[in-house]
Amino acid sequence: MDRKDRIARLVDHAGNPRHKGVFDGAQVVMPGGSPECGGSVVVYLKGDGNGRIEGLSWTGQGDTISMGATSIALERVLGEDLTMDEVLDFDYEVLLQEIGRDVIGSRTRNATMGLSTLKSAVRKYLRERLRSGDLDRAAG
Amino acid sequence: MEQEIQQKGYAHPEALVTTEWVAENLDDKDNVRIVESDEDVLLYEIGHVPNSVKIDWVEDLNDPLVRDYLDPEHFASLMAEKGITPDTTVVFYGDKNNWWATYALWVFRLFGHEKVVVMDGGRVKWEAENRTMTQDAPSFPRAEYPVPERDDQKIRAFKEDVEKHIGKAMVDVRSPGEYTGELLHMPDYPQEGAMRGGHIPGAANVPWARAVREDGTFKSADELRGIYEGEAGLAQGEDVIAYCRIGERSSHTWFVLKYLLGYENVRNYDGSWTEWGNLVRAPIER
Repeated sequence: MDRKDRIARLVDHAGNPRHKGVFDGAQVVMPGGSPECGGSVVVYLKGDGNGRIEGLSWTGQGDTISMGATSIALERVLGEDLTMDEVLDFDYEVLLQEIGRDVIGSRTRNATMGLSTLKSAVRKYLRERLRSGDLDRAAG
Repeated sequence: MEQEIQQKGYAHPEALVTTEWVAENLDDKDNVRIVESDEDVLLYEIGHVPNSVKIDWVEDLNDPLVRDYLDPEHFASLMAEKGITPDTTVVFYGDKNNWWATYALWVFRLFGHEKVVVMDGGRVKWEAENRTMTQDAPSFPRAEYPVPERDDQKIRAFKEDVEKHIGKAMVDVRSPGEYTGELLHMPDYPQEGAMRGGHIPGAANVPWARAVREDGTFKSADELRGIYEGEAGLAQGEDVIAYCRIGERSSHTWFVLKYLLGYENVRNYDGSWTEWGNLVRAPIER
């Protein structure tokens, strides 16, 4: 894939975002980014109680890089059925390489906004689960 | 003079051109250079005004190491590379109501480039009018641009200037949530980049985008006076400092006050909240 193709892929994801929308059954709703600078996202997450993701979606608005990269990151997480631990281990550099360093330039924060917010959502899920003992049961 | 702009009653109507003017002059490569400057850095690649060049505020206009703008040698080199001479009329346009276009224009003015104008309505108006866009990047012969001097006194304010200015006319152009400090205190928005939330004492709050209409064009001088003088209490003849988070949104307000309303002394405090909100013992209001 050359630079033009990589840009086209980002533009496609930004214009036709995957897994975008409010998820009513979410146990964690995590905002991230900055609405005034680059963009902002909200990640919706539900776990299965055993370290796996049962439901995941996002909403947000922002520039092509932040929106496209969020869509690409979530597509990969769901496509590869990553566990919560694997999401936390998902290396930002791997995502940046996949999207294309030459396309992102200095906008790494925009490109990692979705993944970092997803990681925050996972951490919050795990924290709350630890605290409550069994968040899934509590959430019904 | 274009009637559409003339009738809005600006102090310096020559600082704006219409999309129509750009469409008619975009082939005048010897005298005119159209510059796209966006927040969304990929928009130029997706499509741009024919014969326009891209200037990226991060990669082209900032010093890569020190928090400052590029130095005169690099500015001259950037101009040469874009085929711009000191006599070229540079027309800025961009996304987000020309937010970044006015920022680039402000940096050009630091270096004394005289012929700078903004395309009223920016990218959104050009697109709404279904005007031609292309993905072809033009190439221009390398130009001669003597290394200029950068004047940081007239239109740029530093922390020390702001400290002396407290109690005088100042405009915080951020959103009300940032102005009150509420946004910074939302735990999930740590990227606002400051240790404290609030605003510089005495600053009025006029969110920058209030200066534009829904179609992206600037409001008329009467409408702008109603906002900046009627509501925010500024007055002609005052020395005004505008700021935001890093000085980009406030460059838009700087443009409005300086060129559209004709304020002689307006400075942009580019250190803005990411400097002030991190300064030890800096006075803050909420």
